[in-house]
Amino acid sequence: MWNGNFKTSLASLRDSRWRTFFTMMGIIIGISSVVTVVSLGEGLKYQITAQINQLGPNVLTVRPGKLTSTGSLSSLYSFLAPSTLTPKDASGLRSISSVRNVAPVEFVTSSVRDGNSQLDNVFVAGSSSNLGTILNQPIAYGGFFSDSDQTDNFAVIGSAVAANLFGEFNPVGETMQIDGQDFVVHGVFTPSSGSLLSLSQADLNSSIFIPTTAAESLTGGRTNILQIFVQLRPGSDVNSSVAQANRILSQNHGGANDFTVLKHSQLLGVSDQLVNAATRFISGIAAISLLVGGIGIMNILLVSVSERTREIGIRKAIGATNRQILNQFLAEGLILSIGGGIIGIGFSYLINLLLRLYSGWKPIISLPVLFLAVSVSVAAGIIFSLAPAFKAARKDPIDALRSS
Amino acid sequence: MALIQLEEVSKLYGFGDAATLALDEVSLSVDKGEFMAVMGPSGSGKTTLMNIIGLLDKPTHGNYYLDGRLVSRLSSNRQAKLRRDSIGFVFQFYNLLPRLNVLDNVALPLAYKGMTPVRRAKRAGDILELVGMHDREYFYPYQLSGGQAQRAAIARALINNPSIIIADEPTGNLDSQDSRVVMELLSEIHRQGNTILLVTHNPELTRYAGRVIYMYDGTIVGDEKTPLGQMARHARRIFFRKPRTTEDDITAGVSAMLKEIPDRAVTSQTKRRKPRGKKRGLKRRVTRSRR
Repeated sequence: MWNGNFKTSLASLRDSRWRTFFTMMGIIIGISSVVTVVSLGEGLKYQITAQINQLGPNVLTVRPGKLTSTGSLSSLYSFLAPSTLTPKDASGLRSISSVRNVAPVEFVTSSVRDGNSQLDNVFVAGSSSNLGTILNQPIAYGGFFSDSDQTDNFAVIGSAVAANLFGEFNPVGETMQIDGQDFVVHGVFTPSSGSLLSLSQADLNSSIFIPTTAAESLTGGRTNILQIFVQLRPGSDVNSSVAQANRILSQNHGGANDFTVLKHSQLLGVSDQLVNAATRFISGIAAISLLVGGIGIMNILLVSVSERTREIGIRKAIGATNRQILNQFLAEGLILSIGGGIIGIGFSYLINLLLRLYSGWKPIISLPVLFLAVSVSVAAGIIFSLAPAFKAARKDPIDALRSS
Repeated sequence: MALIQLEEVSKLYGFGDAATLALDEVSLSVDKGEFMAVMGPSGSGKTTLMNIIGLLDKPTHGNYYLDGRLVSRLSSNRQAKLRRDSIGFVFQFYNLLPRLNVLDNVALPLAYKGMTPVRRAKRAGDILELVGMHDREYFYPYQLSGGQAQRAAIARALINNPSIIIADEPTGNLDSQDSRVVMELLSEIHRQGNTILLVTHNPELTRYAGRVIYMYDGTIVGDEKTPLGQMARHARRIFFRKPRTTEDDITAGVSAMLKEIPDRAVTSQTKRRKPRGKKRGLKRRVTRSRR
């Protein structure tokens, strides 16, 4: 029965192939945008996870603001607010016995000049020399600055910055300008697959690190510490260290609870939540186009039903039951939506490829997303063709036969 | 026992002032193997009667027994299945599906029965051979002549071995040669024991029928048995009837004339004012009288 329906439905869809194509277009756009957004989120999560794992399990992260485990969006806002962390917190943390290294990350600026060219989407941060050991990212040329370099205008740059400013050459020893001051390139990182700071979207490849003292002279002492990395000694108890860190920070802040100390596992959870929230929000918007596509299918099927009233009458006269007519139009709607879904998935693979080739994004299309896309298009097909199919099935055979 | 048994069947369309009585307490019984022709002017209820017998429509009042079973109050689903299995329709405009080829068109009732495609195609091929359309299996309806299309439609009507074949003016759209071929085919089917109900305006076709009923204003006004090969007596009278003037016609003529008088007055007035007025008035008068 279904076999026959699909055959006749395909024939009638082939008859008006332009109409079929444009009807599918709605579903194609809807499915491909949802799949792309979700795959971008997946890719981001993958990068962040890789970075956090690179830091290792014995690195704690201290962030400004209170991160709750449920309100992931409120943590987004706290990220935008001015930081509550101070250099005093960093030195306080250094006094804990189980701590090996402490590295605060201060945001400085986002643009850098080299004579005539300017880069605007970089992440310039001040930090201590310990960051080099904590980041665990190999250096391609030169090296990370040391403690004795704190007052010098040195910079360690990511691979993308190096490529954009200095091209193919080894840039160590070259000069660039940050906020009007000259900085000498001290080291270049190897290309990294992860983004640097778990919650900010900054990419290690487009980051520039300068010594804390130099950073403070640039910002005029108004430090904005995005986070503090705390590396523990190997084999020390993570939980007791977290408790100690909390105690010291809360003393520094006069009892105010405006900071968060995160373990490795919590960091993963928080970043997942944040990305998930953003992905859900954007794919919700994308799903509206899916809704529009579904309504398009309904519209076209309604037109098709009234155009084929006589055909419905003939089919009923020779013995088609209402159910069989219903199935025929349901099959037509399903072909439109599933076909659109499959083409949409193909389309999102194409977008994926283009993004990987021409942008820094690395989207990942996972199996669950594909499953979701297919089931959503099946559901849309059934939901939006039910009304036209019922309309067709309920037609009175005599009236239908009389219509031309 | 009669194959078709109608007991005081009425059919009412519309509500209130717009209501029309398409069938007025019609009782009829048709035996198995009969070839019955139905005649009557347009609007006399022939098609309504056929729709009720063909289970496309439900009577407002009365009972319809098909093969001894009360079918007039079955659910539309059951009626659809009965239509599929026991009734074959042949329409004036063939009503083949334009997107399907002849073979698929003929096999369509079997598809609704759930038969496998291979068996369907084989059975449809056999039936097409029977109606002499074996070499047109893969043609599409628009590639066929009227006679060929009607033969394909007859094949479709026959495919489920129906107990009744309802042909509603099957030759209404055909030339005399094609009509002959189609009628011979129906006659051949009748000879093999099938029951055929034929609606026609053409008295000549009553030669093929063994029984003719006449309908007028929703009632059966005449029912006669005729030997095969001869035109029915009353049908012949309808055929050769000269237009006669009745009292009704005279009344109609007088009222038409009365309407004509003020019209003329208007015409003469407008003639004086506008040169084109006369022409318009004449035109209007012509359409009036045609009505």
